[in-house]
Amino acid sequence: MFKKSIVLISILLSGFSFSQDKIWDTFEGTRALSNHSTEMLYKRNMEFRVSHKFGDIAGDNGGLQNFYGFDNLADVRIAFEYGITDNINIGLGRSKGVNERTGVVDMFGKIRLMQQEKKGKPLNITYVSSLAFSYKEASTDSTSSNYYQTPTERLIFTNQLVISRKVSDRLSLQFNAGYHHRNLVTFNDVNGLVFTGGVIRYRFTKTVGLITEYNRVWNRSEDTEQKNPLAFGVELLTGGHNFTLVVSNHQGVNENIFLSNTTSDWLKGQWRIGFTINRRFKL
Amino acid sequence: MKKAIISFVLLMTLIVTLLSIDNMTKNRFSTLEKTNDLKELSVLDVLLELGEKKPNHYLIKANQDSVLMGYEMVNFGQLKDKSNARISKFFVCTDCHNQVIEVADLSAETTDDRLSYGAKNDLPFLPASTFYGMYNKTHWYNGDYALKYGDLVKPTRDTLINAIQLCAVQCSQGRSLKDWELNAIMHYYKSIEFKIKDLNLNQSELNQLLTDIATHNTRSVEILKSKYKSINAATFGDLQPKQPDNYSADLKAGEYIFKNGCLHCHGMGKDITNFEFDNDKLTLSFLESKLKKHNSYSVPYIVRKGTYSVSGRKQYMPQYPLEKMSNTQLFDLINYIKSQSK
Repeated sequence: MFKKSIVLISILLSGFSFSQDKIWDTFEGTRALSNHSTEMLYKRNMEFRVSHKFGDIAGDNGGLQNFYGFDNLADVRIAFEYGITDNINIGLGRSKGVNERTGVVDMFGKIRLMQQEKKGKPLNITYVSSLAFSYKEASTDSTSSNYYQTPTERLIFTNQLVISRKVSDRLSLQFNAGYHHRNLVTFNDVNGLVFTGGVIRYRFTKTVGLITEYNRVWNRSEDTEQKNPLAFGVELLTGGHNFTLVVSNHQGVNENIFLSNTTSDWLKGQWRIGFTINRRFKL
Repeated sequence: MKKAIISFVLLMTLIVTLLSIDNMTKNRFSTLEKTNDLKELSVLDVLLELGEKKPNHYLIKANQDSVLMGYEMVNFGQLKDKSNARISKFFVCTDCHNQVIEVADLSAETTDDRLSYGAKNDLPFLPASTFYGMYNKTHWYNGDYALKYGDLVKPTRDTLINAIQLCAVQCSQGRSLKDWELNAIMHYYKSIEFKIKDLNLNQSELNQLLTDIATHNTRSVEILKSKYKSINAATFGDLQPKQPDNYSADLKAGEYIFKNGCLHCHGMGKDITNFEFDNDKLTLSFLESKLKKHNSYSVPYIVRKGTYSVSGRKQYMPQYPLEKMSNTQLFDLINYIKSQSK
């Protein structure tokens, strides 16, 4: 009787796990390129990420004299991210930062609200809330965006809903919408920015795919030189880690930075090569 | 004087206990009248009744609490109430071992039988031996496992408890099991040991066994032992296997091996391996493109060699010995991949 019960429990458990019929691998990593994807780390998995952006390829700061940007460092972020459960992830990172927002520590929480299924739920939906804190010494220039008078002025927040669908084995689409808030901005800027974005991924093989990522800020002040971040990338899956090669106009590698600190213009050759490499560990 | 009385009482208690256990065993066999009564008996108990020696892992009876704890550790990697630490952060036993009979004929345990029985019953097609009947085996980590684990296999060859410990520490890259954990797993093994009904004895063999038990005749010992393999052999195959003579592809078999073997661990969302995939064309095209390579993405290579634990990547894949996947079956798998990649 006892053994029968054990067998019955096993059958029920195995049936339960397969009846979900979930869709996985809409994107290869937890980021599409620079922004979050709907992918999550598994429970008790830790990911170590290094994201790096070089200097301008062309234009005044690029060309052969700067070896097409390889001599310069635009931004670099080193981060650890962790799966508390399969549906709740957290992360902590540090990046060099861009323009006046330098010495940035960021953290985020990410919750999966829905996972696409073969028959049933049509979408992956994830909510991401992140904040960044610039710890560098405040500027003495009162017109600067880092003329911090209180610690809270150093904070930047980004909340976004990320929705994706794996259309086929090769094609994945993603849409994101959110609100980005900087506690301190220059007098001609606005604190709260509403943005939307989109990602297209097309896989040529199991291990190689092309990705395009674009984010548009809708209420940007016309008095600033900010541009919308656009990036193209190649992802390479090597088992245990994946490698992403990016060409982008934005320098920042964290959403709290690149959404409001992108001033590079594609048409002026102000685009750059970057890469992200990550490695997953089981804890 | 007091000490002498206490010692006497303890001694008498021990004698009474031993006698009652002996009587329990005797009673179980003395009440046998019909061959149907035989079928639920443990094979090992019957062999002991016929005069065979007890193995060193012998348990008189499976304690149900211990069985449940053993079951939970085998299936979930720790007790379900999480009162003990995970044995391994990489694997649980069921990633590589089934818990049920895998063949129709235990006396031969052929690879063909394993595949057809597994496909019929939708069993995982795994590289390691089932735990069902593991308690009845007499040697573990046999054959070519010495090539993989070296001298580590020596203490395991005749001692099941050492084999379990080696599996926990080396195969699953986990921690050493504590004595109570080993004991619980052993009780779980005891609960899934071979029964007489598993051995497919015919009526005349059952009649003879019934008579032999009553008369303590050892004739049936050899019959019983011939009905199951007491050793799971392990032979590592060639890393560049040659297609067997007169081979004709069985794509159904290949599909079963891919879905119930490869995807058992590599399937999406399982979080068992670093390389997850599905039964989609992209995956199968990728695997097809690597078939001729000599690396861990090549199916014949990885099936026969597995991967090894290295610094920074302790988790590894066990290989399929020829006893768990024949070369014919490997070519069925290869041909299934080829057929689905176009």
